[in-house]
Amino acid sequence: MKNLVLGLGNPILSDDSVGFHVVQALKGRFDEEQVTVMESDLAGLSLLDLLVGYDRVIIVDSIQTVAGKVGQVYRLGPDDFVTPRHAVSPHDVSLATALELGKRLGLEMPKEIVIFAIEVQDVINFGEKCTPEVEQAIPKAVEMVAEEVESH
Amino acid sequence: MKKITVDPITRLEGHGRIEIFLDDEGNVANAYLQVPEFRGFEKFCEGRPVEELPRITPRICGVCPSAHHMASTKATDAVYHVDPPQAAKKLRELYYCAHMCHSHIAHFYVLAAPDFVVGPTADPAERNILGVIAKVGLEVGGEVIKHRAYAQDIQAVIGGKATHSVCGLPGGMSRAITEEERADFEEKAKSMVEFGKFGLKLFDDVVLGNKEYVDIITGPIYTMESYYMGMVDANNKVNFYEGDIRVVDPEGKEVAKFKAADYVDYIGEHTEPWSYLKFPFLKKVGWKGLVEGKDSGVYRVAPLARLNVADGMATPLAQEAYEKMYSTLGGKPVHATLAFHWARLVEILYAAERLLELCQDKEVIDPNVRTIPTATPDEGVGVVEAPRGTLYHHYKTDENGMVEKVNLIVATVQNNPAMNMSIKKAAQKLITAGKVASEGLLNMVEMAFRAYDPCLACATHTLPGQMPLEVIIRDAEGNIVHRLSRNLSFEL
Repeated sequence: MKNLVLGLGNPILSDDSVGFHVVQALKGRFDEEQVTVMESDLAGLSLLDLLVGYDRVIIVDSIQTVAGKVGQVYRLGPDDFVTPRHAVSPHDVSLATALELGKRLGLEMPKEIVIFAIEVQDVINFGEKCTPEVEQAIPKAVEMVAEEVESH
Repeated sequence: MKKITVDPITRLEGHGRIEIFLDDEGNVANAYLQVPEFRGFEKFCEGRPVEELPRITPRICGVCPSAHHMASTKATDAVYHVDPPQAAKKLRELYYCAHMCHSHIAHFYVLAAPDFVVGPTADPAERNILGVIAKVGLEVGGEVIKHRAYAQDIQAVIGGKATHSVCGLPGGMSRAITEEERADFEEKAKSMVEFGKFGLKLFDDVVLGNKEYVDIITGPIYTMESYYMGMVDANNKVNFYEGDIRVVDPEGKEVAKFKAADYVDYIGEHTEPWSYLKFPFLKKVGWKGLVEGKDSGVYRVAPLARLNVADGMATPLAQEAYEKMYSTLGGKPVHATLAFHWARLVEILYAAERLLELCQDKEVIDPNVRTIPTATPDEGVGVVEAPRGTLYHHYKTDENGMVEKVNLIVATVQNNPAMNMSIKKAAQKLITAGKVASEGLLNMVEMAFRAYDPCLACATHTLPGQMPLEVIIRDAEGNIVHRLSRNLSFEL
């Protein structure tokens, strides 16, 4: 089975980089034959290109919700109506639309997609570090993703 | 699963907002576009080696990283006073043409085509790429994906990475390409030319073949008279990578032609208290407010602007398409904002043809792709035509090449005055006293700004939701009478 662990975000936009940090911590942890660990800040159709050919994809991204507590980690599926920050693009299609398009075009789409989204606060100031509350959530998110990868 | 209401409006300023103000009669008095901004980018760059900026600036956003990479690389050439070898310039242009195809294809098929193929006031659930392929055929979707992948492959091979290229260095490129790579690019470029022709044929059949659409494109709702700016080669033909910046007035007459380094003499930046974005204008005409015409310094960039400033296209098929566009729309310059989409298709064909020419030029495999800089670095400007318009990078460094100052003028910001005006005009014509502001009308207002392919991400970033946009309509007392939003609220 081919697995992809994909961290989405902008590595120089404070909390937006959290997906990058999580997957960086996971590098070298899995059998490289079976699990690819990658970072990207792509969305929409370009994201679709990355997913094609994998059996299972685990996306790690940042999110902002109304009632969420900063640092909270959500486990979502592609059918949830909530959209993490990089699963969408103002220039492109949403993740859900990209997946649907891939299916209709007969591309080799992942059978399973799981999204881990971390509640963030600062996504407007440039910087290479996350805010402390988000920083503290990284180890937990790393473990959740690892557990997911190792679950089957 | 737990129910959580996700409403990014209250927590996040990360979405575009159009505010429409009505007068006592219920007609549109004013309309503004507001977008959030990012902070601290310049400070982030300060103190770093300037040759790192071609790798940092593409991180501003994931939408057109290659445009920033190239503008930045050219700025570092200028900072180091170094002229890259011919092979490096050709390789950069080849890479850049692939980028233009990649970006323009996404915009046309994903963002523009739904309005025309499915219909401007169609059910929003259908008005997307899936609706487009349902109408024009599944194989079109496959071609879109395939040619985007081709363009991406070329950028990845030359760029050295799948995204966020690392190839551009002061004085040239990090490595040359091999004959095998060139031959592979050539085959891909041939296919891109065919796909470019297909796009124009589709436009011909679906859009030009429908009188209602032609009337919308040429009608008063989406027409705006302004100056235009874009890059031209030595023969005044469109070029995306290298040339002088040409400006024409609303009658199409050249009023300026300048080198990138002189941009400060031509572009002024006005500020408004209600907007984070600046309002660039032509200094020699002056800022007269958000008004149309020859006395106002408002100018536009992006595909239609590039075609309006040029005398033509440098490749044969694109030239034919260029001539057809102007003869159909009544000569140059064209002021129809929705013709940006048509111009974008002409540019896809040009980019593909130019890509093929460069792939067939054996000099692109010349291994000499770098001139090592020897001069003391100080200051320089780099410019390219980004998919969305002219992009300026201006850097100042100390004598060790450490960055002291960074100024970027991005395309979307240059179109900011015009976008505000286009939105206001569309709103004034579409929303009149007593008329219900329906989703369809909202979409038609939004079409006025979507034509520019605005990269809010450039001053801002990837936003939550698919083109999240809120339209707020206020009465003469300032009370909100309508609030129309798309993709802003989700439930989980």
